[in-house]
Amino acid sequence: MADSDYEYMEDASDDDYIGDKVSSSTRAHSGAAGGKKRAQEKPRKLQAWETSRSVQKITESIVQEVEDGTRHMSIREKEEERKRKRLRKDTKPFQRGIIRHVVLVLDLSEAMLEKDMRPNRYITMIKYTQEYVREFFEQNPISQMSVLGMHDGLCIRVSELSGNPADHIAAIQGLRFPRDPEDIPKEPKGSPSLQNALELARATLYHTPSHGTREVIIVFGSLLSLDPGDIHQTIKACVRDRIRVSVIGMSARLKICSEIVTKTNAGDESEYVVATDQELLRELLLATTTPPVVRTPQATAIPAESTAALMMMGFPSRVVEDIPTLCACHGILTTGGYTCSRCSAKVCSLPITCPSCQLTLLLSTHLARSYHHLFPLRNWAEVSWKRAREKGSRECIGCLTVFPEIPDEDGESGGNNGRELNGVDRMQADGDDSEEQKASESSRYECRVCESHFCIDCDMFCHMVLHNCPGCLSRLNPASEAQSSRDVEMTG
Amino acid sequence: MNAIDGTDRQIKTEEVPPPSLLAIVLDTNPHAWAHLSSTLPLSSAVSALLVFINAHLASGNANAIAVIASHTHRAAFLYPTPSSQTSKSNANGDVETNGGEKGNAALENPNKYRPFAIVEQEILNNLNSLLTETHELHLTSTPTTLVGGALSLALSYIAKSTLLASPVDTLVSENPLSALADSETMHAQRVPLTSRILIVSVSGDLANQYIPVMNSIFAAQRKRIPIDILKLAGDTVLLQQASDATGGVYVKPERPEGLLQYLMMAFLPDVTARRSLVMPSAGGVDFRAACFCHRKVVDIGYVCSVCLSIFCSPNLPDNLCLTCSSYLSLRSAQTATPALIPRKKKKKKRHGADSATPGGSTPVGSSTPLHG
Repeated sequence: MADSDYEYMEDASDDDYIGDKVSSSTRAHSGAAGGKKRAQEKPRKLQAWETSRSVQKITESIVQEVEDGTRHMSIREKEEERKRKRLRKDTKPFQRGIIRHVVLVLDLSEAMLEKDMRPNRYITMIKYTQEYVREFFEQNPISQMSVLGMHDGLCIRVSELSGNPADHIAAIQGLRFPRDPEDIPKEPKGSPSLQNALELARATLYHTPSHGTREVIIVFGSLLSLDPGDIHQTIKACVRDRIRVSVIGMSARLKICSEIVTKTNAGDESEYVVATDQELLRELLLATTTPPVVRTPQATAIPAESTAALMMMGFPSRVVEDIPTLCACHGILTTGGYTCSRCSAKVCSLPITCPSCQLTLLLSTHLARSYHHLFPLRNWAEVSWKRAREKGSRECIGCLTVFPEIPDEDGESGGNNGRELNGVDRMQADGDDSEEQKASESSRYECRVCESHFCIDCDMFCHMVLHNCPGCLSRLNPASEAQSSRDVEMTG
Repeated sequence: MNAIDGTDRQIKTEEVPPPSLLAIVLDTNPHAWAHLSSTLPLSSAVSALLVFINAHLASGNANAIAVIASHTHRAAFLYPTPSSQTSKSNANGDVETNGGEKGNAALENPNKYRPFAIVEQEILNNLNSLLTETHELHLTSTPTTLVGGALSLALSYIAKSTLLASPVDTLVSENPLSALADSETMHAQRVPLTSRILIVSVSGDLANQYIPVMNSIFAAQRKRIPIDILKLAGDTVLLQQASDATGGVYVKPERPEGLLQYLMMAFLPDVTARRSLVMPSAGGVDFRAACFCHRKVVDIGYVCSVCLSIFCSPNLPDNLCLTCSSYLSLRSAQTATPALIPRKKKKKKRHGADSATPGGSTPVGSSTPLHG
């Protein structure tokens, strides 16, 4: 019991992290009056070691909950609330930087030998970054990545800037288990240098086209940075080159990290997060797979026209061959592959830049994979009993699971006025997506467009995996309306 | 199929093949079926489909089925029957006493396995009510069907069934990212539900539902649900891509009247059985994209970097993206590859050095072995 409570608390805390991130990035997007708001909103967050003491408090609150409702209902609501917390809190369609250029900087300094993550930080990080790279390219198929390592005062290049996840994963694995048997594995050693890392990342990203983002994600385990020069000059140079740095710390917050993050993210510190345990590290890493919100360019920055571009891309067809032929990308004999639409060179896999004519080759499915970032599914609203009675919904549209019975009207109205108030709240907040996602008293969740009711499981599935509303799409008219309204929001 | 190596510590998975859930999306587009009516009328297609469903149910005790119609104006469950629809169809049944009696007769037929009879009757009843409520207005408004909606329904139904079948696995389905986690954190699953989707499609152009269908395909890919396509008429690149991306079967029969044969031979084996069979597949899949401006299929397209819309020509009106109206320039898209500066000839310098220390070349030459 105590165990599970503890877990619950932790869940809440990482959600807070992510929540802060999203909400504050929206603020940065809207531009105005960011700083003042943040000051009011951010009370100091409890650290992990402090939360375990408050287990008592949580159990108390659960007990209270039980007292005023039926026992069964409140437990179910708790469970659903926990599930819904994972939903994105903000589903406004922002312009996001879909074409990303990311430099992932890994800390390979001696601080990574700490054993607060099992078996140690270094191995944990290697394990999670491989997973991260795979997920990153799932979510951002037309993006590029490069991996660097901060090792013994220097910054070493682990893998070149490329769009092939296999290369990066092999290179990261190669840190521990080198492919060449004569190489010795890279063990964590010495001190890290943030300045060297930023300089090398800056050089790596220097030639990337202006329509893509330039991001540096630093996994930083140590508590110091041993720099050869003035790091503030480097930070200024990064700001000038439109590089956004996010730092995932491991032990404690560092002033220099928060300064780097704040300066390169237009005064927004939410990109600096600290992982207190390995689960959190994984979640924080995976949270960066969502493309960042594009900020309106400042007057001093590069003129707006060059930030968007029309990119020429080839959509090759697959060829099937009986006799192996040489591929243009690796120069090895392969059967089958894709032929470049411009120069007919054969390449093995997509997406790739054609080795002979430099055309970006990809499948239309790669583009489509990013659409749900651009057109997110709006969060569904909680349904009060009153609303449920109005609609008379009996089962989930998506999976035909029967909802709990709607209680009789008289029993309800005498019951609790607070619930009714909830319903009113919902009506008022209809246009606003960014509210906290809570459990619904009637276990129903309503799509605001098609007014269909769904169960909690379909709610989760549709928002986290499917990114479609089965209700809207199953009808002709709401679907088209929804589509057009999305488009409007997109342009607005 | 999702068995994880190295995790069979305590829980031994059962030896029996896992239960399999088949979700059939039946395209009931009246326009297309009207075209097909000379070779394969809808009624005989449905009866072939019912035989196929019975075969699927018979091939495993725990096998389950879901049938979803993708009609012109709505996508609806045919089986299992939604409870909100039962009341409606009952009301219909009262009016058309004919249909109701027929159904009861089928149920009471002693020569029929009762579960088959129930499934058949429900599907036929629901299909009947769906077709009777279709008005001319619906038909004239659109020539295509709501495959995107039907797929979404099928996927959410499968997701829920999977959840109910193996509750241990909730963590994975709750948080799709954790499905990627290393095997240590994954729980050994109980008998998982293997699911697949079969789309019996007759409609041609589905381009208007590109994004929803694509989203469904990726969801299926993520959940490892193969999407099988039986394309009786028309041709869509979209569905080809769906089966290719999810590892499903794509069959476009030349003679649609042999529907039952195709169904039994190509689509009956479930995911477990398919591993040991050679399944038909579409050889070359057309991956070319359709442009957003003219719906033309293009080899080389121009893509807006903001919203990823594809255009067939770089000459957009006012250089504004048609979808998101951001200003686009073709020029800036070119990646500035760093040019290599040719190495300077060092001749001159060496000459200078030579001249500075006349006759120094010989001593240097002699000193090299010392260093070595």
